[in-house]
Amino acid sequence: MASTDQQPKSQQKLILTTSDDHDIEVDRDVAERSILIKNLLDDFGPDAEIDKIPIPNVNEAVMKKVIEWCTHHRGDPPASQDDDTDNRKKSTDIDEWDQKFMQVDQEMLFEIILAANYLDIKALLDVGCKTVANMIKGKSPEEIRKTFNIQNDFTPEEEDQIRRENEWAEDR
Amino acid sequence: MATKSNFKRAVPAGRSPNPLAALRNTQLVDSKAVLPAELIDTILDYLPVPDMLRFARTSKRMREMVYDDTRWIRRLKSMGCWSDVEARQRFEEGMRRKLEAQRAREAEEARRTGLGVNGGVNGAAGEADPARKVSITLFDAGQEEEILQSSQERPPGRHRASTLEKGFDEMTLSSASTAPGPPIAHIRDPNVALTVLSRVRSIRGMARQEYGKVYGALAPYYFDLAKSQSHTDPILFRTYRDPDQQAQMLAQLKIFAKSDFSEGWNFREEKLNTMIGIFENAVLHEFEQGLQQKDYDGRVKRYAYVLVTLNGGSAGIDTYIHNHPVMTEKEQLGNPTDCLRHATPGHISLAPSQEFFRRLATTLQEEAAIIDRVFPPSVDVLSPFLDRVAEDIISEYLTSLLDAAHDASIETYLKAVAGLFDQSVQLALSLKPTKGSKGDFQEQTMRIIAQCFEPHIDLYLQEELEFFKSKAEAQVDTWEKRLTEEEESTETYFMSNISRQAAKRDFLTSFKKVVMMPVNVLPTIGGSNATKSSQPVPASNGEALDVPSRASTPLPDGMASPRPLEAPTTELAAKAAIMNSRLEGIRSLFSIEVALDLIHQAKASLERAARFVRLGGQSGEEAREQCENIFILLLQILGNRHIKPGFDRAVSHLSAYKPREVANHNTQGVAPLVAFLELVNVGDLIQQMVDVFYVQELVQPHLTDRDDFLSPACKEKKRFEQMLDERVAAGLNKGIDVLMDEVEFICGTTQQPTDYNPAPGVVDIGPSQTAKKIVEMVSSHTSMLVGSTDKNVLDVFNQEVGLRLFTALCKHLKRQRISVDGAVMLISDMNAYNAYVQTLRNKSLSQYFAALRELSQIYLIAPDHAKEIATIIADSGRYHGIFRAEEVYEYAERRADWYQIRGAVEKQMYGVGCAVM
Repeated sequence: MASTDQQPKSQQKLILTTSDDHDIEVDRDVAERSILIKNLLDDFGPDAEIDKIPIPNVNEAVMKKVIEWCTHHRGDPPASQDDDTDNRKKSTDIDEWDQKFMQVDQEMLFEIILAANYLDIKALLDVGCKTVANMIKGKSPEEIRKTFNIQNDFTPEEEDQIRRENEWAEDR
Repeated sequence: MATKSNFKRAVPAGRSPNPLAALRNTQLVDSKAVLPAELIDTILDYLPVPDMLRFARTSKRMREMVYDDTRWIRRLKSMGCWSDVEARQRFEEGMRRKLEAQRAREAEEARRTGLGVNGGVNGAAGEADPARKVSITLFDAGQEEEILQSSQERPPGRHRASTLEKGFDEMTLSSASTAPGPPIAHIRDPNVALTVLSRVRSIRGMARQEYGKVYGALAPYYFDLAKSQSHTDPILFRTYRDPDQQAQMLAQLKIFAKSDFSEGWNFREEKLNTMIGIFENAVLHEFEQGLQQKDYDGRVKRYAYVLVTLNGGSAGIDTYIHNHPVMTEKEQLGNPTDCLRHATPGHISLAPSQEFFRRLATTLQEEAAIIDRVFPPSVDVLSPFLDRVAEDIISEYLTSLLDAAHDASIETYLKAVAGLFDQSVQLALSLKPTKGSKGDFQEQTMRIIAQCFEPHIDLYLQEELEFFKSKAEAQVDTWEKRLTEEEESTETYFMSNISRQAAKRDFLTSFKKVVMMPVNVLPTIGGSNATKSSQPVPASNGEALDVPSRASTPLPDGMASPRPLEAPTTELAAKAAIMNSRLEGIRSLFSIEVALDLIHQAKASLERAARFVRLGGQSGEEAREQCENIFILLLQILGNRHIKPGFDRAVSHLSAYKPREVANHNTQGVAPLVAFLELVNVGDLIQQMVDVFYVQELVQPHLTDRDDFLSPACKEKKRFEQMLDERVAAGLNKGIDVLMDEVEFICGTTQQPTDYNPAPGVVDIGPSQTAKKIVEMVSSHTSMLVGSTDKNVLDVFNQEVGLRLFTALCKHLKRQRISVDGAVMLISDMNAYNAYVQTLRNKSLSQYFAALRELSQIYLIAPDHAKEIATIIADSGRYHGIFRAEEVYEYAERRADWYQIRGAVEKQMYGVGCAVM
């Protein structure tokens, strides 16, 4: 399939097999937004005949979504690997396209985040996490619990205690 | 209460301390919670602080994640408020305390599990206690209040616990109960908030609480500021009226902004910066107005402090320096061209520049005082101020003065550079550091001065070398020119009888003294300059050196002109004159005067250049190299241009010498040889002078390393010495020939036939006239060399002279006829020669002459003792193997009565066998 010889990377096609056994054809440079896939391909070397790449943790719907994102961002400069060692990790705003892209139901959002994490697409992961963060912002604990389906294992006293402990942050 | 506490403790005990494991449990239980721990962690990073803490309230696992100490330490670190060292110290301190308290605590354990609530306070220090590790919930406001109350009321039931708690309070340096105290009330107090950042402590396990204090104090102002529309809006400016406090808060907010990770931080930070900018401008305005009114202790000082508090005060310092009167009124300090206007050509009057630097120094000192008054000691204002002064005032002054001097003449320029540099260094040394100055203030000022000279140094060093070269060559040329004019005048050789070595040593000591004197005596700037600055500076002492020594050059008629003598060169000048009159004999060859002058010039140049070595760095290195170059040049000119031709001429004089053609032999020595030997002496003197010069000027100031055989100066010096040695050796070679020619000439002309063959009856005891003369001549020449050449050369020379003398004498002897009566005189002669040779202390030579003395005894034996004569002839042991029997026989032939005794002697020698036959 991937006749690697003279074709530039953007012309090469790869086939990804999702967990529910669907084959998706993608451009190689799009697929290589995923560091996982990129490293995999690099390990095989340029001349290897790669038939299909199984992606066992991601289903077709999510994979399509991820590929959509990757296609849109195919021209981005590669993420530098070590910028998160800086303790001053400051979040930047989510751009408009990404915001729109993330307007999906919560389950899908989580799936995308998980897929991005698995496939090692840092920028997508960041966007996902930021979106989740924005969802949490301004919500009461009860609302957060509902949103994220977290079981409350505090007694009311305990919860109140935490609230009081952190009153300094609330009052503004 | 009790059951709850038990439950709380039971759960952590049953669970693995690993939070990830805990999360895995969560995932199993919750049907939909799909995100793993590290992702939640990442999401938390993007949350604003209040949301994060609300998130903590959702469940225990979430709380653990949010409360995780590293998260908060990271925020503290981003503000530069966390010190790992301090944290470790506290931790170790805590461990020690804990061990002490352990026993007591164990006793309390049962009761305390029941109370439970105290866990928090203990946990602060008890991080190592695994049982308590989970309950990091120590920052409980309600609980703290309760504790506070309890410690005030001291209910009997809790007495023990609260004393324990007191112990822990002390442990955490400032008290644990005041800091977490009723936090809100505490933090909201505006005065406490002012210093909240500086009070942050680094305690492991307490990072969240510490950050909480900062956040509680600063966040309201921060977010309010970010929201505000104009500079009148923020509560900050309404809460704090004092500009100093406002500046302090703004500075704190600037730091606090660094821990703001959540979305929109760049907008908030920008807003904060704008606010700070507006505030700074307002303060600067006040500051400037204060400056204009010279209200130093009032407004200037007040706003200087505000500016420093706000952001280190760089803007204030800039304004202060920029608007300073010194910058605007620099013309009043002095006009650079004054230095040239009042000076004669070739000289420079440094008094005006001295005045300039003095005024500058005074101004700067006043300035330092004002800076001390106005600015807090935490900022260094003087250094940037000096930078500016150096750039705007000193550099400008230097450039215009030096350019003018360069246009005037090179010598002026050179003197100006050196003089100004010295004055600048004085200026740098006279400055006192202010309270805010750093420890290396002196180095810093030196560096600033060095920067001023940086652009001039290259040109200066080059000019210095060129100047020295042209000056030195001109000097040698003039001397040579005068010499050729004198050539026609009769050459009279004069030989002194005075002990040369003593004279030389004397001369050298004075020379050393002068070399050690600094060339330019410059008045110092600062307190003590009042007395010194009155002293006229214009002519450097280097110049003063030149005047008397040049005047003392012997004039062709041999009369030294009366010269003005000045300290400290008088002594040397006088000695030089004496030396010169003594060395008049060789003045046609080369002059010690010239050598001295050259060395003086080199010294002047060197000392000027050597100043710049102090600058260090590249310029210093270049200056050092140039110093070496000057020295090398000195050696080359002195050696190749001056000494070498002198020697060559002397050698050619020597080879041209024919004793038989010289009419006058009244003088004691062979004229050209004497001249040459004097030359060797002077050469040696010059070489010693160079050596002294080298040590004084180059080795002692560390301009060059004596042991560094690769150093060009060292190499050149070696070459110079080698050249001198070679010339001396070549000359000596010729000298020996000349000496022997003279010996033979004396033998040939003065030895009367009657000396060794007197008329019977007249017996004169004592050496003959010829022998006396020869001994005297030879010894006077050899002794001339003592102390002036290398000992090895001298030994070789003596040996050669001895051997040649020996051959000459043998030859001479064979030409004589010796009677028995004359033998007495011959033996006296031989004794005289022998005595002289003994003084040379050369063992093999002594043997030769001893043999000669033995030999002369064959003439003493009366003719009737032919047998004895034969024995002596055959006894080769007598002559130390120097004469073979056949040779002795030849000498025996010189007996006046040889033909009468020949038969008898031969019979004795060979005749035993014949007799038998």
